[in-house]
Amino acid sequence: MSYIGVVVTSVFVSNALLTYGLGSVPGRGRERPGSLASALALTCVNALASFFLWAVHTLVLYPLGLGALDILFFTLLAVPLLKFLSRAASVPGGGLLSRVGAQADDLIVGSLVFGVALIASRGGYTLPEGLVASSAAGLGYWLVSSLLESIRERLELSDVPGPFKGAPAMLISTGLMALAFSGVDAAFVKGLTG
Amino acid sequence: MNEGRDSFIPNPVLAGLVGICPLIAVSKSLAEASVYGLGAALCAFALGALAPPLRTVIADRLQVPALLTLSSALALIYGLCARVYSPVIAAGLWIYLPLLAVSGLSLSTLRRSASPGRFGPDGQSRLGAVSMEALMFLFSAAFVGAARELIGLGTLTMPAPGMALPRIVLADFAPLRILVSPAGGFILLGFVIAAYRAIARVGGRKLP
Repeated sequence: MSYIGVVVTSVFVSNALLTYGLGSVPGRGRERPGSLASALALTCVNALASFFLWAVHTLVLYPLGLGALDILFFTLLAVPLLKFLSRAASVPGGGLLSRVGAQADDLIVGSLVFGVALIASRGGYTLPEGLVASSAAGLGYWLVSSLLESIRERLELSDVPGPFKGAPAMLISTGLMALAFSGVDAAFVKGLTG
Repeated sequence: MNEGRDSFIPNPVLAGLVGICPLIAVSKSLAEASVYGLGAALCAFALGALAPPLRTVIADRLQVPALLTLSSALALIYGLCARVYSPVIAAGLWIYLPLLAVSGLSLSTLRRSASPGRFGPDGQSRLGAVSMEALMFLFSAAFVGAARELIGLGTLTMPAPGMALPRIVLADFAPLRILVSPAGGFILLGFVIAAYRAIARVGGRKLP
C-alpha cells in the first residue's frame, strides 16, 4: 500500500480509538484535544514510540525468538527516554515546543502510545510504513477526539435524560461515529491510493 | 443506631469508566472478554499487593519506571500463560494481552498505591478495595462480552483450554451483528452504564 493509503487507513479505516479502542473517550483524560500542540504531541510521541518498539522487536528480539518480551524492553528503555525527551522539551516559556512537551509527558504512559507502537511493530509494517502509520494514528486519534469534544460541548447544552448524561451519551456518540468511519472500506482505500 | 460505614464500592467499569476502551475492543466474545478481564484483575491484584512494599525500598525518582516494569512483567507472564492455556484466545486478544501493563485498572491500582498506609481515608483496606475492583472488572468484562456475543451473534463461546473452543448456539441467525463490531460495543456499553446509573439512583447510591 502507498504511504497515502497507509495514512488514510490509519486515520479512518483503522482508527486508534474507534477500531482498536486505544486511548480514552474525550472528557475524561487530561489532554485537551483540538489544539495544535495536542496534535503534534500525539504524532511525535506515537512515531518515536513506534520507532523504538519496531527496532527492539524486529531487529533484536524477534531474531532471537524473544518477540513476546518487547513490551518489557519497551517499558524499560523507551518509556524513560520518551519521558526525558518530553520533560526536556517542556521548559517554561518554551512556546509551542514547551506545550508539546507537556502534552507528550501526559500521553506516554497510556494505552494509546503502547497500543499504536505494538501495532506498528507486530502489524507487519516496514519501519517507514510503521512510522507513517503510527504518526497518522496519532492524527486520527486527535481528529476523533476533537470531533467528540465538540459533540460533548453540544450535549452539555442539550436536554439529555439523567442516566445518559456524560459518559453514556459520549459512548453512544462515539459508537455512532465509529459506525460512520466504518463506511470507509480498506479495499476501497487501497484501490484508490494504490 | 447503625453507624457502620457504607460498604458500597462503585463498579470500576460502569461507574469509574476504568479501562473501557480496550474492553470494548476485546469483548467481542465471552471467551476473549473473560480471559482479558481475568488478566486485568490478576495484574491489578498483584500490583496492589506488590507495589506498596516496593515503594518503600525504591528511590522516589525510580518508582514510576520500576512499577511500570513490574506491571509489564506481570502482563507478559499472564500473556504467556494465556497462550499456553488457549492459543486461539491469545491470538484473538493480540496486542491487548501486553497492553494489560497499562490497562486502566493497573494504572489506577498504581496510583492508589502511591498513598502511604494500608488503609484508605474511608478506613477500608487498600488491597481489599483493589481486590473488589478487580473482581468487579472481571465480572463486568464477562457480562459485556456475553451480552455482545449473545445479542450480536446468538452464540456463547466458552473460555476453554486447547485449540477448539466450545460454543453454545442459542440462535441460528445473528440477531444484531453490529454489536460485535467496535461501534456496537461503544453503543451497548453506553446503554449498560446508563442502566447501572439508573439502578444506582433508585437505590440511593452516590456514584463518582
